[in-house]
Amino acid sequence: MAAASVVGCAPDGGGSEAERPDGDSPVADRTRGFPSTAPVPLPGETLGAVAEAVLPAELGDDGHERAVAAFERWSDGLEPVVELAHPYLVPETRYSGPDPRPGWVAQLQGIEKECESRYGKAFGDLDVPARRNLLARPLGQAGPGIGSPANADHVALALMAHFFASPIATDLCYGRVIAKQQCRGLEGALRDPVALAGSGAP
Amino acid sequence: MKRVIESDVCIIGGGITAAMVAERLAERTSASITVVEAGQRTASLAERTHTRARMLAYGENPYPNDHIPDQTGTGAMYRQMVVGGSAMHWGGAIPRYSPEDFRIRSLYGVGFDWPISWDDIEPYYQEAEERIGAAGEQGPPDCDPRSQPYPMPPLPLSYNLARMREWTDRAGIPFWTQPWARNTEPYRGRNVCQRCDTCAVCPTGAKYTPDFAFDQLLAAGRIDLVDRTLVRRLALEPGTDRIAAAEAVDRDAPGEAVEFRAGTFVIAAGHAWSSHLLLLSANSRFPDGLANRTGNVGRYMTGHWYMSGYVDLPMRLYPGVFANNSLLSHRFASPGPLDRYLRHDLRLWESNVGRAPRLTDDEGRLLWGDEIMADWRSRTESGATARIRAYYDVIPDRESRLTLDRANTNAMGDPMPRIGYRAAGATIGLEPHTLGTIRGRFEELARAAGGTVRNTRTSRLFEHPGGGCRMGNDPATSVVDRWGRTHDHENLFVVGSPTIVSSGCANGTLTFCALSLMAAEEIGKEGLR
Repeated sequence: MAAASVVGCAPDGGGSEAERPDGDSPVADRTRGFPSTAPVPLPGETLGAVAEAVLPAELGDDGHERAVAAFERWSDGLEPVVELAHPYLVPETRYSGPDPRPGWVAQLQGIEKECESRYGKAFGDLDVPARRNLLARPLGQAGPGIGSPANADHVALALMAHFFASPIATDLCYGRVIAKQQCRGLEGALRDPVALAGSGAP
Repeated sequence: MKRVIESDVCIIGGGITAAMVAERLAERTSASITVVEAGQRTASLAERTHTRARMLAYGENPYPNDHIPDQTGTGAMYRQMVVGGSAMHWGGAIPRYSPEDFRIRSLYGVGFDWPISWDDIEPYYQEAEERIGAAGEQGPPDCDPRSQPYPMPPLPLSYNLARMREWTDRAGIPFWTQPWARNTEPYRGRNVCQRCDTCAVCPTGAKYTPDFAFDQLLAAGRIDLVDRTLVRRLALEPGTDRIAAAEAVDRDAPGEAVEFRAGTFVIAAGHAWSSHLLLLSANSRFPDGLANRTGNVGRYMTGHWYMSGYVDLPMRLYPGVFANNSLLSHRFASPGPLDRYLRHDLRLWESNVGRAPRLTDDEGRLLWGDEIMADWRSRTESGATARIRAYYDVIPDRESRLTLDRANTNAMGDPMPRIGYRAAGATIGLEPHTLGTIRGRFEELARAAGGTVRNTRTSRLFEHPGGGCRMGNDPATSVVDRWGRTHDHENLFVVGSPTIVSSGCANGTLTFCALSLMAAEEIGKEGLR
């Protein structure tokens, strides 16, 4: 049984499974090496408390921390209004949207203000059901798909979208090491993907 | 001030068909060759690991500066204008057309015959596959004729595709692995595919892109590549119909004219910009554009339409194992002579449609962390989804046309192309039969696995487009002859997609390359050194 998906072709030049340093987080590896351009850092404690409310509990505290760290790195590397990949046979150039990060920072700050005024405590001090109650209204307009993080109207949705698009989320869902979009070599293509350690998959 | 660049052969355009012509001429003649490309170089192989990661993370264009801002038209056409052309971004699918494609008028009484036969083009298909580096699986010979093996073994089936082929075998429809321009062995100094699954930008160099060919030719000193230089018109020799020069502008020095003089000119500028250049080059003797004495330049623009769908299958698959490989069938590209006309291919891919994570359930209830994962798992454990698509042959109409759009000009005031595609009446009349039959075949396939067709959609985007300078024996109805030589100008060739008569029902790039190699053979007989 394999331990987890690996990330190849990482921007820092990490390539094959064999090249990946031991102990690195697959989630974190997705965006390592991207430059930081974020104007204001996302409030980390609040974001971590959001992660506990919206990401699978089966990730555990460690998994939540890795998912948040990966999202922060992704957010740091995001550049607004950049040229997007050209759609097939479309002669116009398309660009990404405006910078969502100031809005996300404000949302996280707003969550804390709301908690302080309603409960007299920090968001992270609420239990998970109470946190979800606070997040339900802004997320209520979204769905059914999770969408892409850069287009998320709310930071909680962006965090969810980033995690659920990751190779590790797919591997957790299937209980197999699929390692989607990693440079995996051709040899293993035909094999039934091996079971993910601890997944209970046969 | 004018800069003059002289050579034996001047190739206008720097994409895959230009690479084919340049490479063949460089190998088989000692001619001096200049390749002129309006665009510039984009991400090198070394840079593609980083741009790929940015594309995955943010959807960014992995090929920076791959187009010219004011050089764009209207209608379905590629945005890219870059050294390597649209084949920098391609997925690398390289099926051949079918033998029937070249004589559908004779066989079925619809459309147009080409001036060449399957036997004429087959050796050039093989040559193109060897130059590109094709990895393919021999299909059933009656569906997939070829005289020699592929240069490389096929990409391995993924676990998912192997299960899907067990299903299609039960349906009695032969499928085989799509041929690809991706290495399964080290080939011509390039790496083996690593199954990165982002073939639009290949970080390993396993996918063929034309910049590799240009780099080798440049290193060998066999071509001059002049990029960032836009050819605006071709000029005639005084008193003759021969082309004397290509008049261009250096985008880095717009005030300085550049003139390319050559014995032979080759337009290799793709389906839009080739006709466009000929129309832009109108003069007092050819008031409707060069090579356009009979008014056929820009006409018979072609491409194929498709029906696609998703099939729910009662089997366990793992989407993401190898999303960029697929199964192919040409079983329905060769109907019997008495069948009502319909020719199409079939492609199958793994898919996660209907089985991706979602924020709300069927009742619209908001899901959270573990609920999302449980919902996702339940939908992946209950079955799998396959994507299916059928490209079908569309007969081009004479009025399917590229024209100059005087309302849309570039910074120099040159009108840009406008393409209004149109299918011939035969295709429109057959469409209910076409779509009904294809849908029935999707359902027949699904039933063989105990599955169902989740949904279908149709597309009338003229995919893998071509035409505008179609080939033919009769100058009254065509622009170039079977070798791509224009009927009106003995030293002017058009190669690749503009010269096709119809788009058949398969991806076109390999055919564009084979036609370009045919043209190169003829050009090589021109008394070049």
